[in-house]
Amino acid sequence: MSDPILELRDLKVSITEKPDIQIVKGVNLTIRPGEIHALMGPNGSGKSTLASTIAGSPTYTVNSGQVIYQGEDITGMTADERARKGIFLSFQYPTTIPGVTMVNLLREALKARRGQEVPAREFIQELRETLGRLKMSEDFARRYVNDGFSGGEKKRAEILQMGMLRPDLAILDETDSGLDVDALRTVAEGVNALRRPEMGILIITHYERILDYINPDFVHVLVGGRVVKSGDFSLAKQIETDGYDPILKELGLLQEVAS
Amino acid sequence: MAGAHAAQYAPEQAVSASRDRGEPSWLADARAEAARAFDVTPMPTPALRPWKYTNVAGLVIDSFAPDARFAPVVEGDAPEGGFAGTIAHALLDAAQAAVVQQHLGAVVKATEGKFVAANAALWTAGAFIHAPRGKAFAGPVSVTLEAGEGAIFPRVLIVAEPGSEVSVIIHAASGDAALLASTVVEVVAQADARVRLAFDIRWGDQTQEFALVRTRADRGSDVKIDTLAIGGHLVKQTFESLLEGEGATSTIRGVALGDRDQHFDFVTYQDHIAPRTVSSVGIKVALAGYSRAAYYGVTRVEETAKGADAVQENRNMLLSRHAKADSDPVLEILTNDVTRCGHGATVGPVDKDALFYLQSRGLDNRAAMKLLVAGFFASVLHDIDDPVLEADLAAEVERKLSVADY
Repeated sequence: MSDPILELRDLKVSITEKPDIQIVKGVNLTIRPGEIHALMGPNGSGKSTLASTIAGSPTYTVNSGQVIYQGEDITGMTADERARKGIFLSFQYPTTIPGVTMVNLLREALKARRGQEVPAREFIQELRETLGRLKMSEDFARRYVNDGFSGGEKKRAEILQMGMLRPDLAILDETDSGLDVDALRTVAEGVNALRRPEMGILIITHYERILDYINPDFVHVLVGGRVVKSGDFSLAKQIETDGYDPILKELGLLQEVAS
Repeated sequence: MAGAHAAQYAPEQAVSASRDRGEPSWLADARAEAARAFDVTPMPTPALRPWKYTNVAGLVIDSFAPDARFAPVVEGDAPEGGFAGTIAHALLDAAQAAVVQQHLGAVVKATEGKFVAANAALWTAGAFIHAPRGKAFAGPVSVTLEAGEGAIFPRVLIVAEPGSEVSVIIHAASGDAALLASTVVEVVAQADARVRLAFDIRWGDQTQEFALVRTRADRGSDVKIDTLAIGGHLVKQTFESLLEGEGATSTIRGVALGDRDQHFDFVTYQDHIAPRTVSSVGIKVALAGYSRAAYYGVTRVEETAKGADAVQENRNMLLSRHAKADSDPVLEILTNDVTRCGHGATVGPVDKDALFYLQSRGLDNRAAMKLLVAGFFASVLHDIDDPVLEADLAAEVERKLSVADY
């Protein structure tokens, strides 16, 4: 088996400004090249915290445990160092950056990722190609980052960046939220079009529907900051049908309401 | 308290220097009057609202030796009947001299204040841009203010006759020596004239500038002023627009980028006098190091200005925790009949979410800051008439942020 891209070892995470509140309470996870993992769970279970922590968000602090990326302990690394090494986070709520065009952002990001200036012609060619694969018009790249974008456009803009930056690990945080069926299909097809065989993907989602387009090899259920159950795609299907309650009940995590 | 060079600021000296330059007697008289005003006018104190954040109590203007050889370099081709050159040259031409005499000192009176009086007494060469009736300049006029040390008194007069068009870019630069600049710019925009004026401020580290830019805007005229302040130890600019004619429009846009101990102070005064006049002020400031900025803006809508449209905005981005900005926009509305009247002010650190977003794309802290500031300034820079200046300023902002202290 190939070496893992990502390993989380008994990871415990709290909010930086509220160190007493631990959100992730000991998570172990291993993602190998080519694998797609889905992390599911009810609201407030710690999914987005885990995603942000892997990306290096200063909002969260790792209390104990390790984040190992391609064999290297990156637990103390800044977000930009991680990104340059090939970790990409597709944000649940991408930030608006007025005055900065998508082209500007992509040029700077690509320069950082490759460690050198990307020649203009090469850049434009890659941009055209990636836009094409996402069925996006070139006008899109001239707009300010997320400024006035619809929900679907924001998520496509994230996938456009993923396509240009060619990460080894992509974390898709609720990429399906706020999208209608058509927008969801477009975004998911974009992800599939831009996937590379050596890439690992972690999809974070409430619902199963995005997984119909991007089929996961493994599904993990996060509840209360812990992975309480792991399985294959069928686990996601089961959640779609029955919700989280049966799993919670089975694990004794659901308080029965006394009648 | 008189400074070491007080003799050069005296009325007799102003008059004899004027005579030596061969200036007409009306001008010599005006200089004498200005020098007398300088002598009796006190320095402004922080008790005066526009001077609250820039305390000049320790500044002695006449401790700086006036640079008698200072002359703006004016480049540009005027249409027939117009003029682009120094005021000194214009005075040699009877027709142009008449226009100068009519307007010079009519927009900004020498007796209004200490800095203005010093300027009116001691300005040298000057710059005069005259757009004749119904004519447009083919390209922008460039006025370069470049100086070494001591005191300079840049004086610019722009007269745009009815239906004319002119664009002027003032470039300001100096070396590392201590320099004081007291600048006065008078803009006369007659009916339906279109005037564009940009300040490219790149003074040296030891330069202090105090500038008053006042516009009289007649019916249907459209005046836009940009200030792009990057260099200088202390830059205080006051922009006043008197919207005297129906439907006149005044737009003020500014960006300032501070670092180290730079100090920027912007004051705006938009006076809506005539009906359906329009004013828009938008000043964006980014501050690194220990730099600081102040903004005080008054938009006044007189009883006579029915249907006025006025917006005023000042935004300050603090790039370091030692930087500081004060912002104080004021509306004075004396009529019930306004189309729109609004103002906004913000002072705050860089948006943390935006910073993390860019960092998550691989940009280090400095690269992310650069991009955020470039984006913050973009709307103002994109809107400058001159694409070469726009690109040059963007590069200058980038250079400055490459070494700035966050």
